[in-house]
Amino acid sequence: MNPFKATMATIILFSFALTSCVDSGDARSDNDIGNESRAITAGAGSPSGEKGDCNANTTGVNWDALMTETCRNLSDYKLFTQANDPTSGPSQGGLPYDLTTSLFSDYTSKYRFVFVPEGETVGYSESEVLEFPVGTVITKTFALPANTALRGDDELVIETRLLIHRHEGWIGIPYYWDSDSDATLAIAGKRLEGLSTINNQGQRIEFDYSVPQAADCTSCHSIVPNLTGPNDSRKQIFLPIGPKARYLNTNFTYDDGTLYNQLQYWEKGKLLKDLPVDFQSVERAPEFTDQTPIDSLTNSEVNNMARAYLDMNCAHCHRTGLTLPLNYAGPAGSSGLQLEYNRSYAEAPSKFGVCKQPIAGGKEGYPYDVIPGNADASYLLFRVETNDSRHRMPELGRNIKHYEGALLLRRWIVQLPSAHCSPGD
Amino acid sequence: MRHMTFAKSLAFSAMISSGILLTGCNVEDGKDGKDGADGTDAVLPIGSTVIKTTPSGFAITDDAILVAPDAAEGDNITEALSEALFTIGDDALIVLPKGRFVVTETIAINSASGLTITGHGINETILDFSTSVGDDAIRFTGGNGITIRDLGVYEAPKNAIKALNVNGIHMTYTATVWEGDLEADNGAYGLYPLQSQNVLLENNFAFGSADAGIYVGQSENIVVRNNVAKQNVAGIEIENSSMADVYNNIAINNAAGILVFDLPGLNKAFGSNVRIFNNKAISNNAENVGAGVVGLAPSGTGVLVLATSDVEIYYNQLTDNDTTAVAISSYLLVDDELADYPTKFGATITAGWSPTVKNVYLHNNTIARNGANPQGVLLEPIAAGYASNMNSKGEPQTFPSILYDGAGELFSNLGELDGFNALLGPDAQAAGISYGAYTAGDLICANSNINANPAPQYDEVNTGLVYPTNPADITIMDDGVPQPHLLIDQMVNNTYLNCVQPRLPAAVVIFRNTLYGCTGDDLAEEACAL
Repeated sequence: MNPFKATMATIILFSFALTSCVDSGDARSDNDIGNESRAITAGAGSPSGEKGDCNANTTGVNWDALMTETCRNLSDYKLFTQANDPTSGPSQGGLPYDLTTSLFSDYTSKYRFVFVPEGETVGYSESEVLEFPVGTVITKTFALPANTALRGDDELVIETRLLIHRHEGWIGIPYYWDSDSDATLAIAGKRLEGLSTINNQGQRIEFDYSVPQAADCTSCHSIVPNLTGPNDSRKQIFLPIGPKARYLNTNFTYDDGTLYNQLQYWEKGKLLKDLPVDFQSVERAPEFTDQTPIDSLTNSEVNNMARAYLDMNCAHCHRTGLTLPLNYAGPAGSSGLQLEYNRSYAEAPSKFGVCKQPIAGGKEGYPYDVIPGNADASYLLFRVETNDSRHRMPELGRNIKHYEGALLLRRWIVQLPSAHCSPGD
Repeated sequence: MRHMTFAKSLAFSAMISSGILLTGCNVEDGKDGKDGADGTDAVLPIGSTVIKTTPSGFAITDDAILVAPDAAEGDNITEALSEALFTIGDDALIVLPKGRFVVTETIAINSASGLTITGHGINETILDFSTSVGDDAIRFTGGNGITIRDLGVYEAPKNAIKALNVNGIHMTYTATVWEGDLEADNGAYGLYPLQSQNVLLENNFAFGSADAGIYVGQSENIVVRNNVAKQNVAGIEIENSSMADVYNNIAINNAAGILVFDLPGLNKAFGSNVRIFNNKAISNNAENVGAGVVGLAPSGTGVLVLATSDVEIYYNQLTDNDTTAVAISSYLLVDDELADYPTKFGATITAGWSPTVKNVYLHNNTIARNGANPQGVLLEPIAAGYASNMNSKGEPQTFPSILYDGAGELFSNLGELDGFNALLGPDAQAAGISYGAYTAGDLICANSNINANPAPQYDEVNTGLVYPTNPADITIMDDGVPQPHLLIDQMVNNTYLNCVQPRLPAAVVIFRNTLYGCTGDDLAEEACAL
């Protein structure tokens, strides 16, 4: 064994032990000795199986309410130690995480936490979202920074969305921060007028922000059955989108200052099982943020980042086959455009829109979805850039153009191998 | 046998409905009534009381969930509507208020089971989406046995009513409208079931779509009847769909009346068994302001079949369409770069899409006063040929009322498409798709169609073929490409397309355990006996 590696591991494990000592009040889980680290879910509690109560005065997470009730106030679920701050301080067992590339949501910063019931574990999946056990809660809080170059400072906390894995499947519930102290259930969504931010290009952007309706969650968070006959009555399956191995496979700085690969941290903390022993084999989608210097990327970097961006921003709908359950597809699985990260471009460039005519939709001057070498006439880029709701993509959650994302896709289209619809071909 | 039960319940409901219909059926497109097709909806749950009957005869019962019942004309009812629809149980009846109301978001409904959304009538309840920040107006995703009825959806930013992956979607007495002139920035589809099963669209009114007013895509088991599609780019479009009956509809003042398309690259690669009968496609001469493939449909077309095989078009009244009554075309008319097909379309050919068109049978259609002013960029050279002496008659002709491109058939007969056979995947092979020479069962046939032109214009109703289909008849040009011959001959006592094909079976929709269509509730319908 490489002694240096062994030392590193010891140090890291030691830091785990330190974290666990800070807030451990539960004797049962005080077993952090030697190579054994404490389970992340230790002391988190778990659903009792009984009907929940939004007013229950639990010491930690109000699991039972999460499992059965749609509570009026976010604070009823007791997910955060300070009810007025959903961006930090998760209740016992909650763990922050980040993704290498994320969905653009009008330049908001996102604060993500996952809560898994005590003793439960998350199953690894190579290409699909990780297999979170029943009881899992994912929170995502959206906060608009005054300036995207200074995220974390001067942010307006707008909404917190919950994904809850109940016995009957996942559901999504939106909460809107209508006061400084708590967020309120927003079944019908909320339209916020006159927000503004300054993006990394120094552009000041004023816009109206939409907190989606509860029913909208399913529009992105589901896979739908390809009905195979008149008697096929299969239903949609609701799923999280972001927490896939390829997006979690990156370092994260935890509250105690530890820098650790998230997947390995989850595994060490007994949260994740079946992570491949050969960690190098775990896929990693590249990091793309508003700070990424797009102009100085190599073509190969552009291609990889654009594929991750398309995957995260489009492929929750534009996906079919591959690693999905048989005869399920994304809500736009019927479209000819399929943009998954794990789809081979070489096998069928037309699936990525190359020289593909728009079917439902279309606009004069944009004959094909993607015209390698001619971004300006590519309908896909037009749809990503426009705010006209007739053509806008993604359909939900974007009210303004993502300048940096569009620039990345523009470069991607320009560097693609020439095709029969390309200029001069 | 279960079918007997259906038949009994139908007879019973027909009796009830005839009573209900006496209360008045003065709806704009209300052809319904004499056979009581819609009456099954009046079967009441046991123990419920009727509190209101819509003009179409639908009984609203006291167990209904009333959305914003006290809303005043012009109120924004978005919040009330989303909240009512978020927590619905199975078989819920949601009632929208009477009047014109504003909705400012997409109304998304997921995995509903047995849901009915009704207004107080197609003209009585209007939802105005002109200030919506969403895209589609109403969107059903997943679910089964869903009805939307007795309301109008106006000015949707994108599609008006979309139903995605629903098994059992029934839209009736519903209007989808974009008011004013037909313009490119009107919305997309009006009534829009996509990748669904058991689709029943009846008694609707679709007006002003910059795409198709009534569009069924990638679906199976479809009945589209008694609808009016007016002033859309495409009136009614059946795309990559199978087992579809389209009858008793009126398509008027659209750019193209009724379209049957198979487009490449879609998840459901191809459609088949589409019957278009007893419809009226009249004066479909609006300017085509559409984009994408539908934008290529020539303005002035009554019925257009593009690359879909197994289509029967009969007993329709096809009049006053300025380009042609019926155009039947392979995909080669849209894209003639045959050498590029394996690169461009290889994957979709593997899945069963084919650029050829086979087994289209036109009979007993009444055809009059078409072809006066042929339009469309795709047809420009063809129209120029028929208007000059560059056609088989050697003198200017009125544009053919039945136009067949012949290109896919010719190239198949020449063996030019044989290479595609190697691309066919298992599904395509199972469906019997192949690329050899056309056999008798593959032919495009037209007979017993009625020339209703008055003398002296009687001679102007003709059948035309852009290419002869027999390789022996063609002239190869210097660059090795066959020359268009622009054959033309009278439609009656015709030389061209003179053959007969077997009749196609009827489509059946099973909706909430009731059978709809010609072998279901319309057994006694005249059109179904044609």
